[in-house]
Amino acid sequence: MAIPWDLIVVQTVNGIVTGMILALVASGLTLIFGIMDVVNFAHGELFMLGAYIGVLVLASTGSFLLALTTASLVVALIGAALQIVTLRPLIGRDPLTTILATFGASLVLQNYALWQFGPISRKIAEPVSGQFHLLYLEYPWYRLVIAVASAAIIGAFWLFLKFGRYGIWIRATTQDRVMAQAMGIPVPWVHTGVFAIGAAMAAASGVLFGPLVGVEPYMGLPWVLKAFIVVVVGGMGSFGGSIAAAIFVSLLESYASIWVSPSQAIIVSFVVLILTLLFRPTGLFGSASR
Amino acid sequence: MTKTWNDDNEDFWYSGKVTRRRLVGWGGGILGATMLVPAPWRAAFGAEKPFKVGSLQPLTGPAAPGGKTSIVGLQMAVDRINKTGGIHGRPVQLIIEDDESKPDVGRRKAQKLVEEDEVDVSCGGFLSNVCLACMPVWAQNKIVNMISVCLDTTITGSACNKYTFRPFDAAPAQAVAFGPELVKLGKKWHIVYADYSWGQSTRDAYAEGIKKHGGEVVGATGIPIGTADMTPFLSKITGNFDGLFGIFFGKDGVTLGNQAYDLGLTKKYKFAGDGAIAVPSNLPALGNKIEGFYGIDRYIPVFQGPLDNPYNRRFFAEAAKRLKTVAPQAPVPDRYVQSNYEAMNCLKLGMEKSGFTGRKDSNKLIAALEGLHMKLSDDFPQGDKFLRKEDHQAFLTEFIYQIKGGKYHLIEAVPADKTVYPSMCTMPA
Repeated sequence: MAIPWDLIVVQTVNGIVTGMILALVASGLTLIFGIMDVVNFAHGELFMLGAYIGVLVLASTGSFLLALTTASLVVALIGAALQIVTLRPLIGRDPLTTILATFGASLVLQNYALWQFGPISRKIAEPVSGQFHLLYLEYPWYRLVIAVASAAIIGAFWLFLKFGRYGIWIRATTQDRVMAQAMGIPVPWVHTGVFAIGAAMAAASGVLFGPLVGVEPYMGLPWVLKAFIVVVVGGMGSFGGSIAAAIFVSLLESYASIWVSPSQAIIVSFVVLILTLLFRPTGLFGSASR
Repeated sequence: MTKTWNDDNEDFWYSGKVTRRRLVGWGGGILGATMLVPAPWRAAFGAEKPFKVGSLQPLTGPAAPGGKTSIVGLQMAVDRINKTGGIHGRPVQLIIEDDESKPDVGRRKAQKLVEEDEVDVSCGGFLSNVCLACMPVWAQNKIVNMISVCLDTTITGSACNKYTFRPFDAAPAQAVAFGPELVKLGKKWHIVYADYSWGQSTRDAYAEGIKKHGGEVVGATGIPIGTADMTPFLSKITGNFDGLFGIFFGKDGVTLGNQAYDLGLTKKYKFAGDGAIAVPSNLPALGNKIEGFYGIDRYIPVFQGPLDNPYNRRFFAEAAKRLKTVAPQAPVPDRYVQSNYEAMNCLKLGMEKSGFTGRKDSNKLIAALEGLHMKLSDDFPQGDKFLRKEDHQAFLTEFIYQIKGGKYHLIEAVPADKTVYPSMCTMPA
């Protein structure tokens, strides 16, 4: 059987682009888990809220960049409020309570969006239109823009974590919460800050991805499900692991779709998840101590 | 000692101002007061026992946006019935349950409507997998089930039963109506469809419809519902064919329209599909990317051809007014509003003809509905239609349209008798 090189090239590009969007969603999720041990079931709704705020800002200003920035900032504030009101009181309780709290928040946010914005899908116009020839296909420039923007946001955050004063606080709190508190780091506020950053990353991905799908109250669900797979495969709480796993899983699905149907290709990510849980429960890039 | 959140919480409950006992007391009082307030129909109907109509609708979950507009149509019909004297002088009480867009929940709620609410008839259902899961519940309890949105072919085909009726179109009827136009647009087609019960049965119906008129389906790509990024799957679609035919609904319709355009597929090939892709609630998110799309639907919000009638204008005006309450952008009525409205009116017509008094008269109601002809009127603003006795499937006018300048342009109205296909139902005894 001849190897379909043209399809392999196209699907490599697709896998990397989808992987970068997924990485942006998953990195917020893994960050929140890594530092707070909270599995945030409301992450998809923060993604959706970001997209809706993007719609409103874009409609009133016409600036995509302003929409992206405003949505990230507003959703960061919403995230901070959500953490203070619902999660901070649950610190030290059974982890199940935080799962229920974030699940409850997700239902509230979904129904709020449906009530506030109605059943009509909204549009975010892409800032860059047009296509280029990719072998047999017309490929949209905007998908490359999404990949580059996601990489830039993730890269900026990595630099902040590595060299920024508050980034060091976050890393210290991730490594040893008690010791960080003893050293004078305000751990509860670090938690709030991290939740806000995770929420902002979800919002940014919502605005970036909005032009491809339309904005509606349940748009976050499929992404957050995949992001959970990526977070587990990459290693719960491992920032770099999540990014690598996002690209790995997306590439696998894209390649699989060359030979099998889309429904079967989607199963690939679940197979990877099951194999990871069976043979390396800490994730491909997670530390064994977690 | 520092006060914790928990202490504050306990203060609330034990402060002596708002005790649990008092809260329960207040709750009981409020509940009692609510029971004293008469139901809305009491003033008009006195002590007449209402007909209870159970309705399963997706109020949460991925299909919730469609469920919201469906209820507008259903409630509009019920309000109109009650305003004009009810059915045999008895009011209609609508009991809506949220199926959460899930078949298992739908089945449980159907059981609840049967056992706890003791509904007389059912009128509802949005997602086909929910409808299919609930059909045995209605059949086992001998309750007439008027489907209001579900389109899966098997509902009135291989899964048919004597209690279930579909008073609107099915995919094979659309395929019969659309087939000649599609083959005029191009001989060779590739079908991309939602990979679940409705999408699969609709794909088969169109494949047959296209083949029957001398065309050919050269390939088919099934994409699971809810797939956010279809690009990796759409990228594979290439080759020597004339048209791309889409079968999706809701947000998947928006995703297909946007991403097929972005990949240049809608420029390279003719783009046509099920009307669910380009329903009015999807058009804002599709923008100019849906320009030129050919669709077929049982209802489009225009006053052209047979839809330019006073009944449709009245239906349109009232539905648009009510839709403003669920959508701030003031949408126009779509196929979901229309089919829910007409399904309830179809049930009313059958109940009136049969002298239906309750669940025990289900057989009389079935006999009245089988072969029922519905005439263009305020009850049926979409047009004339009839319910075939053999499979309980309705046949009605189909509207073939093209999107131009972001608006629907009617190309052809295919009359009901030109959409008939052979029954695929063997009614179980």
